[in-house]
Amino acid sequence: MADGVRVVSRAVVASAVVALAVAAARARGLHIERELLVAAGRALLQLGAVALVVTAVFDQLGLSALFLLVMLAAASASAAGRWGNVARARARALAAIGAGAGTVLAVVFASGAFELQPRFLIPLAGIVIGGSMTATALAGRRLGEEVGDHVGTIEARLALGISARQALAPHISRAAVTALIPAIDQTKNVGLVTLPGAFVGMLLGGASPIEAAQVQLTVLFLLLGAESIAAIVATHLVANALIAPGERIELETQPPL
Amino acid sequence: MNPTVRPQPGRSHDRGRLVVEDLSLERGNRKLLDEVCAIFEPGVVTAIVGPSGAGKTRLLRCLNRLDEPTGGRVLLDGVDHRSIDPRQLRRRVGMIFQLPAVFAGDVRANLSYGLNDPDEEELVVALDAAALPAHLLGQEASTLSVGQAQRMCIARALLRRPECLLLDEPTASLDRDATTAVEQLVASLAGQDLAVVMVTHDLLQAARTADRALLLVAGRVAAVGPADEIQARWPTESAS
Ligand SMILES: Nc1ncnc2c1ncn2[C@@H]1O[C@H](COP(=O)(O)OP(=O)(O)OP(=O)(O)O)[C@@H](O)[C@H]1O
Ligand SMILES: [Mg+2]
Repeated sequence: MADGVRVVSRAVVASAVVALAVAAARARGLHIERELLVAAGRALLQLGAVALVVTAVFDQLGLSALFLLVMLAAASASAAGRWGNVARARARALAAIGAGAGTVLAVVFASGAFELQPRFLIPLAGIVIGGSMTATALAGRRLGEEVGDHVGTIEARLALGISARQALAPHISRAAVTALIPAIDQTKNVGLVTLPGAFVGMLLGGASPIEAAQVQLTVLFLLLGAESIAAIVATHLVANALIAPGERIELETQPPL
Repeated sequence: MNPTVRPQPGRSHDRGRLVVEDLSLERGNRKLLDEVCAIFEPGVVTAIVGPSGAGKTRLLRCLNRLDEPTGGRVLLDGVDHRSIDPRQLRRRVGMIFQLPAVFAGDVRANLSYGLNDPDEEELVVALDAAALPAHLLGQEASTLSVGQAQRMCIARALLRRPECLLLDEPTASLDRDATTAVEQLVASLAGQDLAVVMVTHDLLQAARTADRALLLVAGRVAAVGPADEIQARWPTESAS
């Protein structure tokens, strides 16, 4: 009973912090109050739903696989939404996230490092899909911006008889690198500047600091791998969308014929 | 002009002939180019003139396939240019943009971009053809003046030994002296058997530099002829 009371009071306190953020945003005229509230509201509903769903699928591998597919679809839609005008963005985002998360999960489970059970599959997949989503969103968006900003230089390269892919190459690398900055910085500064989620969660949940560090390291390394793959695949696929037949760059998407 | 920048020996005189047949370019519901016909001969400088928004840049970009026409075709030496590898096509049909496109690195790196290490001699000759001194080779390209950068771009295009050279308002951002230098350079290119197509909004420049002018109005060819005779066909304010 005392536990229940404690949980509720924590929720109230956390909500008060959000209210504080909203008040501060309003006072400064940032016009993001709505976004803050919507974000907090969505987190509440989604995490609540996930807790229930995970409970339901926890001992059913088939159901948890289905659950992952839903996650993957949502992650693809979200990342594609960050890209702006890219043809077949969702399919491309799905391929990038799937490549990043899928490779890492395949390695982890095929090697036997983790047992293929919902209690490992769901959290690990959730983490690598989430990380791949961020990397995919950033990489594709950055590439679009890069190409928009440097279209003159790129077309000058094309005009010298360079292939479109080669003309885009420096921008492709820059976009991939930019997308990986959060993952790299989070990894290299871990413990110094930030205490990341898994570590904090395990400590709050009562695990020893050593155990928490082990799990956190695993998470960080899996994320680095998944995000790198996702960013590379995402920039590759977005570049494909920007390259039109005849070694040209097509920024404005043409109306379908 | 140094002869080594000239096209390879043995090249027949009539290579680099561009024929534009009923070229149209539509974007959305707008016809940016409407059944344009034109011929650009080697050894001839043609100025494309016309009011702002007439489609001059679009026409030029269709010639090296940076834009894909929605109708009609472009023939390079009698061959539909869509059947030529675009990379090959663009080495044969070089292009200079309104703003000089400077790549990272020094002038040497800019000139030899995408080439299999060209020898020093060739680079110097190309610079010389563009009226730039050889000592610029080691200079960081971003530090060139705009006029020097534009001439470097011309040298860079000439190094690929094009048969045609397209220039889109190449003097738009240049001062008078640099403009004169580029104009003289352009006029001299025809002497090297290049088909030169230069977009300009300035009829006087067309008269100074080009052998003939093609007047484009609202995506259509309104007149072709000597630049000083084109003046009469220029649309009045109300017509454009
Ligand atoms: N993607 C596009 N969609 C619709 N219209 C376009 C598009 N790109 C260009 N245009 C229009 O096409 C017309 C021709 O443009 P273009 O750049 O060829 O003109 P121009 O003759 O070179 O003009 P200027 O002398 O100002 O450079 C303009 O009216 C322009 O607004
Ligand atoms: Mg123009």
